[in-house]
Amino acid sequence: MNDVLLTIILIVLKLGLVLGTVLTMAAYMVLAERKILGRMQMRYGPNRVGWGGMLQPLADLIKLLSKEDLIPEGADRWIFMLAPAISTATALLAFAVIPFGPSVQLFGRTVPLVICDLDIGVLYLFALSSLAVYGVALGGWASQSKYSLLGGLRAMAQMISYELAMGLAIAPVVMASRSFSLTAVVEAQQTLPNMVRHPLAFLIFLVAVMAESKRIPFDMPEAENELVAGYHTEYSGMRFGMFFVGEYLNLIVLGSMLTVLFLGGWYGPLLPGVCWFLIKVLGVAFFFIWVRGTLPRLRYDQLMAFGWKVLVPLGLLNLLITAAWMIWRG
Amino acid sequence: MPTLTIDNQTITVPEGTNVLEAARQLGIEVPHFCHHEALGSVGACRLCAVEFLEGPVKGIQMSCMVLAKDDMVIDTGSDGVLAYRAQVIEWLMTNHPHDCPVCDEGGECQLQDMTVAGGHGVRRYTGPKRTYQNQDLGPFIAHEMNRCIQCYRCVRTYQEYCGGKDFGVMGTRQRLYFGRFSDGPLESPFSGNLVDVCPTGVLTDKTYRYKSRIWDLQEAPSICPHCSLGCAVIPGARYQELQRRRARTNRRTNGHFICDRGRFGYGYVNHPDRPRAPLLGHRRVTWQEALAALQNHLHEFCELYGSGSISMLSSSRASLETQFLTKRWANALGSGQLCFEAHPRRDQAARVAASQAPDCSASMEDIRSCDMAVLVGADPLAEAPMLALALRQAARRGARIVVVDPRPVELPIDCERHAAAPEELPRILQGLTRPQQNAFASASEEFGGALGRALLEAKNPVLIGGSDLLGPQGCQMLLKAAEACSPTGSTCRSMLLLAGPNSFGGAMLSDDGPGFDALLEGMEQGRIKSLVCIEADPVADYPDRKRCRAALARLDLLVVFDCAATATVQEADLFFPTTALEEAAGTLVNNEGRMQAFEKVFSAGTPLLQSAAGDHPPRFFSRDIPGSHPQPAWTTLARLLGRDAELEKVRRELEKIDPRFDGLAGLTADSEGCRVVAPRQAPALVAAPASGVTASDQLHLLVTEHLYGSELLSDLSPCLQAVKSDPYVWLHPQDVARLKLVEGKPVRLCTSLGEWTLELRINGDISPGVAVVPRLRGTVVETLVPGSEPMLCRIEKA
Amino acid sequence: MGLWKDIKGTFLPFWVTLRYLFRRPVTVCYPERKQPPAPRYRGRLVLTRDPDGEERCVACYLCSAACPVDCISMQAAEREDGRRYAAWFRINFSRCIFCGLCTEACPTLALQTTAEYELATRELLQVVCEKDELLIDGCGKNTEYNFYRLAGIGVVAPRGGNPGETPPEDIRTNMP
Repeated sequence: MNDVLLTIILIVLKLGLVLGTVLTMAAYMVLAERKILGRMQMRYGPNRVGWGGMLQPLADLIKLLSKEDLIPEGADRWIFMLAPAISTATALLAFAVIPFGPSVQLFGRTVPLVICDLDIGVLYLFALSSLAVYGVALGGWASQSKYSLLGGLRAMAQMISYELAMGLAIAPVVMASRSFSLTAVVEAQQTLPNMVRHPLAFLIFLVAVMAESKRIPFDMPEAENELVAGYHTEYSGMRFGMFFVGEYLNLIVLGSMLTVLFLGGWYGPLLPGVCWFLIKVLGVAFFFIWVRGTLPRLRYDQLMAFGWKVLVPLGLLNLLITAAWMIWRG
Repeated sequence: MPTLTIDNQTITVPEGTNVLEAARQLGIEVPHFCHHEALGSVGACRLCAVEFLEGPVKGIQMSCMVLAKDDMVIDTGSDGVLAYRAQVIEWLMTNHPHDCPVCDEGGECQLQDMTVAGGHGVRRYTGPKRTYQNQDLGPFIAHEMNRCIQCYRCVRTYQEYCGGKDFGVMGTRQRLYFGRFSDGPLESPFSGNLVDVCPTGVLTDKTYRYKSRIWDLQEAPSICPHCSLGCAVIPGARYQELQRRRARTNRRTNGHFICDRGRFGYGYVNHPDRPRAPLLGHRRVTWQEALAALQNHLHEFCELYGSGSISMLSSSRASLETQFLTKRWANALGSGQLCFEAHPRRDQAARVAASQAPDCSASMEDIRSCDMAVLVGADPLAEAPMLALALRQAARRGARIVVVDPRPVELPIDCERHAAAPEELPRILQGLTRPQQNAFASASEEFGGALGRALLEAKNPVLIGGSDLLGPQGCQMLLKAAEACSPTGSTCRSMLLLAGPNSFGGAMLSDDGPGFDALLEGMEQGRIKSLVCIEADPVADYPDRKRCRAALARLDLLVVFDCAATATVQEADLFFPTTALEEAAGTLVNNEGRMQAFEKVFSAGTPLLQSAAGDHPPRFFSRDIPGSHPQPAWTTLARLLGRDAELEKVRRELEKIDPRFDGLAGLTADSEGCRVVAPRQAPALVAAPASGVTASDQLHLLVTEHLYGSELLSDLSPCLQAVKSDPYVWLHPQDVARLKLVEGKPVRLCTSLGEWTLELRINGDISPGVAVVPRLRGTVVETLVPGSEPMLCRIEKA
Repeated sequence: MGLWKDIKGTFLPFWVTLRYLFRRPVTVCYPERKQPPAPRYRGRLVLTRDPDGEERCVACYLCSAACPVDCISMQAAEREDGRRYAAWFRINFSRCIFCGLCTEACPTLALQTTAEYELATRELLQVVCEKDELLIDGCGKNTEYNFYRLAGIGVVAPRGGNPGETPPEDIRTNMP
């Protein structure tokens, strides 16, 4: 009885911890992005609320919550209301399988620092990122607005296209670690991160991840000078907020994926594993923000051409080479 | 038919067309000041220069002074021409003051436009500017002579077109002065046109002084409601206030000008006493309450006394749509007690006028181009002022104008006057109906016969009658006479002056319905329990005010829809405010049967000047515009009938039900209008009882219309109060001598309707044995209504 | 060569943005530090008076016509001496976009811009200014111009009495 209770307590504790950390991170990611972009443009960024603007996320949250929740006339009400939730939920669910660190000893048991170490963690992640398309596509379709619809369509095409490249980039990693479990993948990188072992796969994955997150230079679905705000044009208040949070959650998810799959997970010298994991994730996030501050938006045809004509063939080639290497080495 | 080329476009124009007009027909507007379509060309402003490249004349010439000839090739915008015009403007501007910011013409000033277009910005000439003293030209026109550019348009309009004699040009060289010999009000009843023709700000509208700029005005094509001619006007409103009216061009009716009654009669819309909220008893209620009360009451009457207990009265002020929906409403209620005019004799006369064949009726254009016009019992200046102007244009072309009237009819032309006693008029008309006959029984008939023969010899003769004096019988005879006097190959057209702007429409719709007499009888007998007056004022319009008041007092319910505080509104049990003509769209049918649509100019509301008492607009937020309750009568009727208040639908329905109004739905307000297709059938007339033998001290009393003060709406205009005359009675010198009266002294006028003390005036043009009293609202003689049979009266020393 | 240029063009900007990340921001933090406006700054509008101390505004409606957002309204009226003035004059600064077109349109130099720009308030009617709030006791930027002295129709001087005018013509004589 006591054992069961402890298990439940541990799960709840882990869940609460992960949820709290991740949501806070997402909120501060917004602030970090605004501040870093500001400094790159010789501005201060938000600096009014709290010390140096540190309470800005809270202010934004209050603003979004207190805003009117508009549902356009002619919109498909239920789908319209559901879409942001799908978008946020898929991003949150992804954290279920991400290992933050090595197992720790707690209350006399070995507690893995992952909520659920699935044997098919990689596939699960993959499935969730496919589902995320729904949030965007449905939101765009249900709004009954041409901008939203175009944004949704673009997002759909873009995400499906780059998922292929992403899958092709992950395959060598899985082959090398001989497991779909993310913990196993990390453990396989104890000596050398996959980034070094599979540099081409890493680059393909990096680009695909950026496209998947719909961020500059791949933010065609919400290109504001063409589509107003793309699929979330018609959203307001906290529903818009959910799309927004979903986007930054996604940033963390993809950063975690990159860390787990290519950057060696929690492995690193001196510091505890969890710290290394966090440092790596934040580093990836900074890189994404840096890219946003630097590169202009692509054209849509360029995006599709790059995905299908460059990344997919390269991914296939990489897969072939890796397979050949593995057969040759036995 | 010369063919010429202007700016690479070829056009063929009628012989005698000048180059400026030819260019205008191609849509090329050659800039000009002094030329005016109605006034012709004088070549004074030198602005309409164009370059003649080929043809009989060469070089730079004034396009208004050169008649179009074959093979002319003209460039209206060559470099030389543009430089020439710029030079002319610069010359004109050497003396023109730089006071555009304080000039009312600013924004609609041709000189301003031309100065900007010509590129003149800096005055290079450094010499002094010429100045003048201004004159006080009366209540209508403001004078600022410094701005004058000597185009002569004002003098040509005032003296030549309008026949005024007290405004002219003085001085020499560049010291020309346009004004009167001395300060004083302009005498012509068409003086307001000076405002329209002056290309710059010398002569501006004094009633509109410093009120608005043209670009701030809400304007729309509209129709003047102050007489039966239906002149085209453009009212302008701002801040919920109707601020002015100016003439619109309709070549079939008024041409380019309007009279002062039409121009300055707009004030009724802004009248401070205008009722603007529904009243139940004398309590302000909401529209919903008022409409519910109306429907409840009418339902009750239908239940208790039958639908015959409800009667309705509309008037010649109501638009055709309102009249039509009134009729539909009466039909829906099952009541046949409906008429469109409170004055029975005027009602009958209008019905006679509407039975005239449309192709035989004369438009104002026909009158301007006629070569002989006979006026029988018509006083144009009083009853339809623009008719006088049309007759003047005919006379200027050499037409013979004959006036047969017991009254001293004044016209701005020299014409043949024949003072006929009222009882003589039927005999003259009798003579006119038999022009071929030579043996007549009486001198009057012989005179009529002679006139008829002259009409037969004319090419485009016109016979004009006033329905007030002639009455229905006279009108019918006049129509017959016109038929009889038609020369071979042409028709003698006829025009009857009616009481109101839509008398014709009401007459068309009234079929064989009862007159107001019959309704009054019903009220007196107690059969009729309620009367709904839709923009009608029976108390003031019915000839016997006492009888009318007594009958109305017997009613259980008097409902009034109106836009002015009339005598009937004071007695109403239930009152609904309606919009003024300018505040809604609609259609009016003028006295020749021309349907003319008018547009909504602005939305009803208390003028800001009144609601803010001259100060800035209120500093609070509100959804309601003060005084915006008035609704067009026809929309209320449509609501009562339970249908959409859409003008288009109402017009189409009327057109469908009554094919005589064919073309109504397609009318636009800026068109020339179109005539009703077919006449109504002639009404059955009851011969009026012959007036009794006149005792030696008795006179025939004629109550007549007057230019200012007779018409309801224009009399409410504050601008016209200054020119309204005091009540007086006109007598022939013979009668004055016989009755031993003294001119200028008050006399006592005794009739069966009452007794009044009036000033005596003597006029030699009047028929002996007749006393003429003008109808002047708001004075002691208010209860005397024109349009009745001449009454017997006595005049004695007061 | 082209490929090298492309690669350089893609990666060099990263270095640029990274360097800028450590530069000092140029932003001036407004409520703590206020920059003095330029001399011709277009701030709050005022109505000025002419050198004689009379209102310059003749309510000609040109400013309201020029105003692209329709924030100026007025009513002209006539004083006993014939001077045209504004019976009321209202500028709604909550609508005003401070474009200055009204001052350019003003033929009498009555309407002028000032350097005052701190107009924000929670009370909407506070920024709806009437004539008494707009009218100042001074000439503003031009201390000499008096419209009526140059207009050529009298009012401030007898007719023909302003500079550059001949005395009124005598219409009773035809002598040259």
